[in-house]
Amino acid sequence: MSDKQTILVVDDNRDNVEILRAFLESRGYTVASAPDGRTALAQMEQVRPALVLLDVMMPGMDGWQVCRTIKNHPDHAGTKVVMVTAKGGFEDKFEGLRSGADDYVVKPVDFKELEQKVQRNLAAREGKA
Amino acid sequence: MRVLARVHDAELSRNLAAAATQLGADLMVLGSDSPNAEPEERLRAGLRTHPDVLFVESGDTDLQMLRDETRARGIALVVACPPGDAWECGDGAVAEEWLFLPGTPGEIAERIRSARERLRRSTHPRVTSQMAEHLRYEELLYDRFTGFPTLPVMLERGREILERTGRLTVLYVEFVRYSKLEEIYGWEKLDEVLQTTAEAAREFYGQQREGAESHLMVSHTGDDDFIFFTDLQEPVEEAEQRINELANELEQHVANRLEEEHGEDVAGLFGIYVGSTTLFRNPKIRTERMIYRGIREAAYAARSVEHRERSRKVADLKTALREEAVYIVYHPIVVTETREIYGYEALARGTYRGLRSPEVLFGVAEEANLIWELSRLCRKRAIEGLDTNLLPHQLLFLNIDPHDFRDPTFRYLDLDELGVEHPERIVLEITERTAITDYPTFQGYLDDFRSRGFRFAVDDAGSGYAGLGSIANLSPDFIKLDISLISSIDTNFMKQNLVETMVQFANDNGIQVIAEGVEREEEYETVKRLGVHLTQGFFFHRPQREGVAND
Repeated sequence: MSDKQTILVVDDNRDNVEILRAFLESRGYTVASAPDGRTALAQMEQVRPALVLLDVMMPGMDGWQVCRTIKNHPDHAGTKVVMVTAKGGFEDKFEGLRSGADDYVVKPVDFKELEQKVQRNLAAREGKA
Repeated sequence: MRVLARVHDAELSRNLAAAATQLGADLMVLGSDSPNAEPEERLRAGLRTHPDVLFVESGDTDLQMLRDETRARGIALVVACPPGDAWECGDGAVAEEWLFLPGTPGEIAERIRSARERLRRSTHPRVTSQMAEHLRYEELLYDRFTGFPTLPVMLERGREILERTGRLTVLYVEFVRYSKLEEIYGWEKLDEVLQTTAEAAREFYGQQREGAESHLMVSHTGDDDFIFFTDLQEPVEEAEQRINELANELEQHVANRLEEEHGEDVAGLFGIYVGSTTLFRNPKIRTERMIYRGIREAAYAARSVEHRERSRKVADLKTALREEAVYIVYHPIVVTETREIYGYEALARGTYRGLRSPEVLFGVAEEANLIWELSRLCRKRAIEGLDTNLLPHQLLFLNIDPHDFRDPTFRYLDLDELGVEHPERIVLEITERTAITDYPTFQGYLDDFRSRGFRFAVDDAGSGYAGLGSIANLSPDFIKLDISLISSIDTNFMKQNLVETMVQFANDNGIQVIAEGVEREEEYETVKRLGVHLTQGFFFHRPQREGVAND
């Protein structure tokens, strides 16, 4: 992990975005953000994030749809997607598995867990590159 | 190049025509002269013909709407605007090119050319989603997985053949799965198998096309079946013979490739049946409808071949039951930490070749309503082997279908009849081959068995929602995690999260978790790290005819 990697935070709640941004920036990542799925997809090309931190419950396109679109996209399928959701049940994790997400953090976000999961996904991405 | 234009200004219209001539482009102009149709509707209809360039005047229409439409279809947009209207002109996000009125033919041609060029080079940051959508439409025409044309394309080609030669033969390849392969080997395996069949179909297609004067083409239906169209040159009376040969060769080819690639066990789970029909041109019937009907008929023919095959299998099964021609293999389950053998899962196999795979065996029995008879035989065989094959502290895991509880000889059995001396050594694995609909009643059955000392495992947990729902309802002693959750778990964090949650749930409820289908060291290390109590899979052992007690 030589240079700073970019993480795209997608959440319709501004406060959540800012909290995550502050934390991730403090850990040396570059952070971009989008308030909804469509904007996030539109930004993929420009931002080229290494990892997308994706809220599940959003108006319009929900997080699963966004995740599927990213994972099906020829240029962006290699982008790591970590879902963020309030629900920690099996069903949600299964949905995550089906939509091709790479990892999962439960709200309220535990920063230690988040950091560990971000790191392990970025490491896996490096390993494959 | 095709240019679609909607212009109202007469001079612009003339210049545009001149520009089109310069470019050598086909120009289609939608004027304001047709009061009958809705102008917007006509424009949309025009866009659906996929022109390369759309040329409009600003203020004439909703540019945002047009932008979305053209981007989604990959059409370059050129907007002409009066000089005073410059405030929105030059915005590359709306149109590829702008033109200030009045434009000369040369200028117009230049704008059109540059708009196309810009569209080709551009990767518009805002339209990733629309581009993705466009890609999806293209994928509808050619299957992304197999590369074969899909039905709309086939219909068009079939129509050509039928109109040219007056005859079209349809071969329908029905690909039957005797059970859900995903549940046994994981969904990755099913993908591999489908890939193999597609390759085999493609090879067959290639072989047939080589040096042949007739056309053959293949399509892949949304499911896993294939359709071949061919225009055989033989006279009609000989063609029948040729079609049968083709069908047989195709069946053989796909079956052989499957066995080569995936082994007898997997290949045994599939059946390939080919049905055919020949269509003759009939001017009274719409060609498209004829082709659809032909496909249906061929599919029906394939299905009847399959039915005949099934009846033969049922006859074999009846003989097998009479002769008690099943045997048991024992698949060890080990303690994850120590790798000691904790117990064995008993798996039934048919002695007859066509019935060797348990999935086929039980599948056929289920259809023929012989499932109870078969289950009784398998249970009897497995329990017979308990003392000779297992050490006294080892458990025997027996697969039970929820339906078995309705079998009076199982439900009200006395243990003597079953041959069970030590119910506490037996774990009943509940497989949800058939969904449990009435949980309270089912719960009652389980309680009876539990009170006699039997234990329970939920089998294939995580292969679908049903598996998860039943965990809480059945309060089992063991949860067997489905192979689809375990396969490649070392590199899949989502699977790790799921298994971790499952282990937590199990620990909170005094349940032991068994990982099925561990095939690689990395998978073993991962399930061990996640605290999975027991492990089963080829990494340790393959199913064997006899247990350790006989070593």
